[in-house]
Amino acid sequence: MRLRVPIAAACVVGIGIASYLTYVHYAHTAPICTTGGCEKVQKSKYAELDGVPVALLGLIAYVTLLGIAFVRGVNAATAGVFVAAVGVVFSGYLLWAQLGPIDAICQWCLGNDVTIAVVAALYVVRLLTEEGG
Amino acid sequence: MPRSRLIVLGGAIAAAVVAVVVIVIVAGSGSGSSSTTTTTTTTDSRPEAVSTFAGVPQSGDTLGKASAPVTLTVFEDPQCPFCRQWNIDTLPTVVRDYVRSGRLKVAYRGVVVIGNNSLAGLAAIYAAGEQNKLWQMAEALYERQGDENSGWITTAVVRDAAREIGLDPARIVTAMKSNTVLAKIRASINEAQRLGINGTPTFAIQKQLGTLQQLQVSGLEPGDFTPALDRALQ
Repeated sequence: MRLRVPIAAACVVGIGIASYLTYVHYAHTAPICTTGGCEKVQKSKYAELDGVPVALLGLIAYVTLLGIAFVRGVNAATAGVFVAAVGVVFSGYLLWAQLGPIDAICQWCLGNDVTIAVVAALYVVRLLTEEGG
Repeated sequence: MPRSRLIVLGGAIAAAVVAVVVIVIVAGSGSGSSSTTTTTTTTDSRPEAVSTFAGVPQSGDTLGKASAPVTLTVFEDPQCPFCRQWNIDTLPTVVRDYVRSGRLKVAYRGVVVIGNNSLAGLAAIYAAGEQNKLWQMAEALYERQGDENSGWITTAVVRDAAREIGLDPARIVTAMKSNTVLAKIRASINEAQRLGINGTPTFAIQKQLGTLQQLQVSGLEPGDFTPALDRALQ
């Protein structure tokens, strides 16, 4: 459980990014952007998955990962690895979409990519070092 | 480190990869089928779509009576899905409740946000505007909207849209290359740049001698949009 604090801190960063992008999505406003492509990414078809904003899915994932951080045991650590890995793979898919079909980069998405990768790495370490069977 | 932990780790990661692939495929096929449904629906509701503009005066890029005291200017990109949403879902309500009564006129401003293919759409839309059917063309293209930057705005699509709204397809295709149409597109894009508009749809309100004020809306559906319009019209 010694990784609880760093996992929680990374999740809080992720919650911040995902909350902001969820707000921007529903408010139909332009995100603050230095890369020039955030709005294009936000308004692309990849910003939603079957009508649900991907930012909202990210927010749900980070809240879940934050909750799991405070649950002991190998099963919890495994669940954390699974959820974080889903996040990493899905972020990879969205990164591909930005570099390919959308042809624009969103700094918030890149920030999320780094954050979810950190959370996933921490959960992997936790799974491999967690006490118990 | 127990070997079993590594197996659990590998299993969790593999399951995650499979989960994402399934989600993306299922959601992708879901959106595909929903767009098919949309096409079918809009085809079925064509008489309703046509009646949106029936009897409403149009002059170039402006929809509504010239004497209307307030102008709603809409900055749009024909490839933008949110623009499609507003035009299909909310514009009919705006026309019925505000434009027909002469309280409001709506001005179209085309911009390129999504990609170069948008330019072809804008050319078709402004070409139709020369025959005072700009708004019908915009709607007809939204009804045919494909994936962003997939190159869906082809000459064939424009011809089909022109035919549907009762315009000569050959005349539209010729007009798309004319200097007057290109000048209108350039003027519209320049205006958007001057106002710092880089997203679509963006709405602005202008009262007779007043300046253009951006209209902040909480959403693009009629229930979200019209309250903001009501406040602006007060």
